[in-house]
Amino acid sequence: MNLDSKIPNGHISEKWTQHQFESKLVNPANRRKFNVIVVGSGLAGASASASLAELGYNVKTLCIHDSPRRAHSIAAQGGINAAKNYQNDGDSVYRLFYDTIKGGDFRAREANVYRLAQNSVKIIDHCVALGVPFAREYGGLLANRSFGGAQVSRTFYARGQTGQQLLLGAYSAMMRQVDNKKIELLNFREMLDLVLIDGKARGVICRNVLTGEIESHAADAVILATGGYGNVFYLSTNAKWSNATAIWRAHKRGAAFGNPCFTQIHPTCIPVSGDYQSKLTLMSESLRNDGRVWVPKSGTDTRSPDQIPEEDRDYYLERVYPSFGNLAPRDIASRQAKFVCDEGRGVGSTKLAVYLDFAAAIKRDGRPVIEGKYGNLFQMYEKITGDDPYKVPMRIFPAVHYTMGGLWVDYNLQSTIPGLHVLGEANFSDHGANRLGASALMQGLADGYFVIPTTLAHYLGSTKLDKVDTNHDAFKNAKAEVEAGISRLMNIKGSKTADELHRKLGKLMWDNCGMQRSEESLKKLLEEVPKLRDEFWNNLRIPGEAATLNQELEKAGRVSDFIELGELMARDALERRESCGGHFRSEYQTPDNEAQRDDENFCHVALWEHQGQGKAPKRHTEELKFENVKLATRSYK
Amino acid sequence: MSQGILRYLGSTMGRKYIMAISGLVWTLFVLTHMLGNLLIFASADAYNFYAYKLTSNPLIYVAEAALVVFIGMHAATGIGLRMRNSRTKPNLYAVTPKSAKGASVTSKSMIWSGTITLVFLILHLITFKFGAYYETTVDGILMRDIHKLVVECFSQTGYVVWYGVCLVLVGMHLYHGVASSFQTLGINHPKFNNAIKGFGWAYSIVVALGFLAVPFYVFFVKG
Amino acid sequence: MAGNNNSRTMRINLKVWRQKNQNTEGRLVDYALDNVSPDMSFLEMFDVLNEKLVAQNDEPVAFAHDCREGICGSCAMVIDGEPHGPQTGTTTCQLHMRTFSDGDTIVVEPFRAKAFPVVKDLVTNRTALDRIQAAGGYVSVATGNAPDGNAIPIAKEIADMAMDAAACIQCGACVAACRNGSAMLFVSAKVSQFSLLPQGQAERERRVSRMVWQMDEEDFGSCTNMGSCAAACPKEIKVENIARMNREFGRAMIFGRDRKQTAED
Repeated sequence: MNLDSKIPNGHISEKWTQHQFESKLVNPANRRKFNVIVVGSGLAGASASASLAELGYNVKTLCIHDSPRRAHSIAAQGGINAAKNYQNDGDSVYRLFYDTIKGGDFRAREANVYRLAQNSVKIIDHCVALGVPFAREYGGLLANRSFGGAQVSRTFYARGQTGQQLLLGAYSAMMRQVDNKKIELLNFREMLDLVLIDGKARGVICRNVLTGEIESHAADAVILATGGYGNVFYLSTNAKWSNATAIWRAHKRGAAFGNPCFTQIHPTCIPVSGDYQSKLTLMSESLRNDGRVWVPKSGTDTRSPDQIPEEDRDYYLERVYPSFGNLAPRDIASRQAKFVCDEGRGVGSTKLAVYLDFAAAIKRDGRPVIEGKYGNLFQMYEKITGDDPYKVPMRIFPAVHYTMGGLWVDYNLQSTIPGLHVLGEANFSDHGANRLGASALMQGLADGYFVIPTTLAHYLGSTKLDKVDTNHDAFKNAKAEVEAGISRLMNIKGSKTADELHRKLGKLMWDNCGMQRSEESLKKLLEEVPKLRDEFWNNLRIPGEAATLNQELEKAGRVSDFIELGELMARDALERRESCGGHFRSEYQTPDNEAQRDDENFCHVALWEHQGQGKAPKRHTEELKFENVKLATRSYK
Repeated sequence: MSQGILRYLGSTMGRKYIMAISGLVWTLFVLTHMLGNLLIFASADAYNFYAYKLTSNPLIYVAEAALVVFIGMHAATGIGLRMRNSRTKPNLYAVTPKSAKGASVTSKSMIWSGTITLVFLILHLITFKFGAYYETTVDGILMRDIHKLVVECFSQTGYVVWYGVCLVLVGMHLYHGVASSFQTLGINHPKFNNAIKGFGWAYSIVVALGFLAVPFYVFFVKG
Repeated sequence: MAGNNNSRTMRINLKVWRQKNQNTEGRLVDYALDNVSPDMSFLEMFDVLNEKLVAQNDEPVAFAHDCREGICGSCAMVIDGEPHGPQTGTTTCQLHMRTFSDGDTIVVEPFRAKAFPVVKDLVTNRTALDRIQAAGGYVSVATGNAPDGNAIPIAKEIADMAMDAAACIQCGACVAACRNGSAMLFVSAKVSQFSLLPQGQAERERRVSRMVWQMDEEDFGSCTNMGSCAAACPKEIKVENIARMNREFGRAMIFGRDRKQTAED
């Protein structure tokens, strides 16, 4: 397995420029001879499709929705970071780089992160030019706000819909190329396999979800931009259709999976209200600026919150972290909420929630001020829960939000399979063990607009690619395998729905590999997940036919992959015998319950190589070298 | 006219401009017509003299031709768009919403209020413009005694009812049509929208009541 | 508190449109659900219905959904004749059962318009809207060409108005609500966003012209200013945008620099 990260030589600030100069180019007249497949149409996929088509490559873009614009990037609320230093508050490319490395608890690759910070500046310019209506000051200049993990104001935003507006920008650029016939939009297509010829990625097999037809598409390179795998947990802030099938099947074809156990749990989400719960909704982190988090001191206190006097309340974040208080970082705030609920002091009918109380802020600033800051969020909360947060405290609970792990890529964003590039949340590269707020959008667009045009040209310009089409045996075999897989699913004819099994997986994962993991819980998980896999393959029921729109079949395929990925996550979490960022092993904590890193033994990326069905995967490592940032312990006391 | 403009005018939006402009021309016309009618309250002679002055002016032929062209365009475009719209929305829902997510009665009945108005207009022309020709002399000039014909018609209960129903429909057509024309011509501003709506409402009421005043006056007072 | 309402459940009678595919006739089918929690979203009620149907070895009801937080624009149900149901400014996924009462009968149909053919049950094909986007809903600027983000100041009011229009989620509720099946609210939101911003000026006339012609080609109806679209819009996009598009289109028709060429495009 080729694990060369291909980090260029030279000073960190020169690496990308130098690399761009040293990369091979494809001359404009030759670009139209190359075909590229992009899977996924979120920020990374849409921006890559647009910029590659603008350069002259023939692009085919696959998306599972009717419209590329429905990809889940659309739901990002807060904003996008960029080292513009418009506020004159001391920001710089280096500072954004530093904050991101530190926020990721020193488990990301320096060179990639520095490049991300460099490109962040150009992203804002390009998005403005595309007509993204960013928030403005009265003078007409771009507005900024602050986000967690930074002491500068560098977050650009478009109300609470930044992801939507950035995606619409990329989508519009992409649709322009659809109109120019440089992009062939293959909507309603779900990628089900990757096709390799001579060890290189040469195409995909996909299913047309409307007709059930299995199609083959050949190309000179394949780009996966299919997002994260938070839905392994069933309940997450991901969209219902967000899935890991594309990256998982690429993994099974030879792409190494990097740091699968790194998942981010967001502390402020609307809690589960019943067994029917289908997904979780995020409430912006910014609420913690004015809201106070508390639970009753006693677990048997059943009074309504307004009846509980101050002396019977435990403002636990303020108590444990007097200097950061309610603004403690995401992973820490999430863990503390779990601790108090584990003690039986949770609130609401499920006892799995804590209060986020605005009474003090409303009393201090008056309702109009609070309404001006958070009006839309309060409204959304009321719509979902039926409670008025101006009158009763919000109930919140942590939820799975983002996966830092993903397919391993080198500096060129190429996976261990030549010709297979992975962009955005689908790759593992830039966020280490914990992602900072407002950095996911930045990474997706940096990868798609600015990195892949250079690195893909290098691959195409430096690789001998024979002409292949879908009549090649590799396509025929892969297609036959996919068809066999579908008919196997259809023919189980058991009694459980895909959702039922998925919920079961989610509960197992959440209980044993969620906010806190231990050797014991992970070993239990490694026993339970294979049992669930057997149950899935023996007792699944899919009504209807495969050769038509069949949403149960779609779900089943995804769940089968989530189960396998869940097992790999457990393995990875078990092997990483340290705590870092979102990965918290209860055995590895400081006396005051903080994450204890082991830089001696685990300052590396864990890469997992698939060894075939039923065989244990092989673990490799890529050592992480910190030459520009000093390894240090985070403290928020 | 270049080919370019025809493509614009032929689009659904271009055809709406035609609807709006031709509609507004007729909106203005019905107001002047209504005001002329009110002369019946002055005297029979004033009424007849006004009609005489109007019809003896040679420009009347230009005006009439223009009105015919505009209403022809309005009707043809309206019917064309309606047919297109029944094709683009072949099925409605099992339940008709009562909220604003549904449509108001006036807005969804434009094709019917318009069609009946057109039929009424033709019959109206047959009855009056091309109807019985009585003569009278005002200030020594021999002219048509349209007043006599009007009184004759509006003394019949059936005719008054028919006329009344049609004028209510004309009012409804105007109520939606006037405000809608402003919107189609791009005249919309949050500051003035209520005023525009109010104007359309007032205009349609004034026109309808103005026209209705004549038959009621004739039927109940003169008759 | 709603969270403590779990003990209170409702019985809901549903009449749901079932249609095998585009080429077959559909019909309303009756279902009854007991134990509907008031805290369920409308789509979660359908999840429960579908689990029940699968358990009986029946085919579940196909419906479009994804983010379930009101932003992706996938969900699209007409509930008692109203797109996205009885509330204003709410998508189907954000509609909760506490809006209904125990014993209610609810009729659920797909979005209806010629341009949105039914694929199956409640799923329609709304890709016509993407083709309108492709016809002109963009600023032609290739990656790498942009000046500094602050090079052109944009007044806050203008940026806010552009954002109001850009909030459209392309769900198609405007088309579904319109008795003519018109997409004017959707197209005008896009046209407005770009015609307000300085970045959109260069292609202003070409954009509106091409998008309107594409809209006609896709067989969307014409606007008769009924206003149902704006009432049904989950993002509360206003009909002022349609007026603005009327101005933009008229402007392109009368003053368009490359009118003839655009017309022949």
